[in-house]
Amino acid sequence: MDIREAAIRKMAEVLGHVPESITEDAVLTTLVSSSFVLVEMVIELQEEFGVRFQQVDMNGVTTVGQLLKLIESRVAD
Amino acid sequence: MIDSNLHWILSFYRNSEIGGALFFGELARSLRPSAIQQDMTRQFADEANHARYWTDCMASLGVKPLKLELAYQNQYLAAAGMPTNLMEILAITQVFEKRVVGQYTLHSKSPNVPIEVSRTIADIMLDEQWHIRWIRGALKTMESEYGADNIRDTLKRFTAADREVYARTITEHGDRLGELRLASK
Repeated sequence: MDIREAAIRKMAEVLGHVPESITEDAVLTTLVSSSFVLVEMVIELQEEFGVRFQQVDMNGVTTVGQLLKLIESRVAD
Repeated sequence: MIDSNLHWILSFYRNSEIGGALFFGELARSLRPSAIQQDMTRQFADEANHARYWTDCMASLGVKPLKLELAYQNQYLAAAGMPTNLMEILAITQVFEKRVVGQYTLHSKSPNVPIEVSRTIADIMLDEQWHIRWIRGALKTMESEYGADNIRDTLKRFTAADREVYARTITEHGDRLGELRLASK
């Protein structure tokens, strides 16, 4: 399973969605019921991949695809 | 009975404590089981209790709480941005707690505070001291992982956001806060 697929599965798990419903062009804020769920999802993704984000890293990250790219870049570091 | 401004202020405190309980409850829920989650859970339980203290205080003063709109905390994420890791969660928590302690200290030192209000603030402050202590301790242990400079910068950023939210509150409700606002200058 590649990073993108694993990340989407994790997002689906946190959000209680099926992975197929999470597309890369989906806007993150439309997927979550509240800002706190987004916090939870971002923290869970960091735990899952052993990476660390800071608030500044999330500036400009609005879609699933952008978040996946951020995870991939951190895993590669 | 108490005057309408004090009635509004006590209702505002109660509303803020309810908002705090929900805010920290949501943050606690977003964390994995850990010592920090345990402390955050205790904190949101404390905030819920504080709301009850204010309800009881108002009852002893012969009034019922007013229904108010958005609590102070609800504006936090909009102003400060979304925390993305544990350190940022604790940083925003510490900034918020300092604001609470500052406001209650200011109120307790203002003239003509009813004894019921003084006692309620004193009870709440006992918990607040613990809140600040556990958060400070937890942030200290994170210095090796996140960097002391980074933590300091994060606290600065959230403090600026807190000031922005507080200034907005003063602008909107300055007439109600009256001498509490003047005393804060």
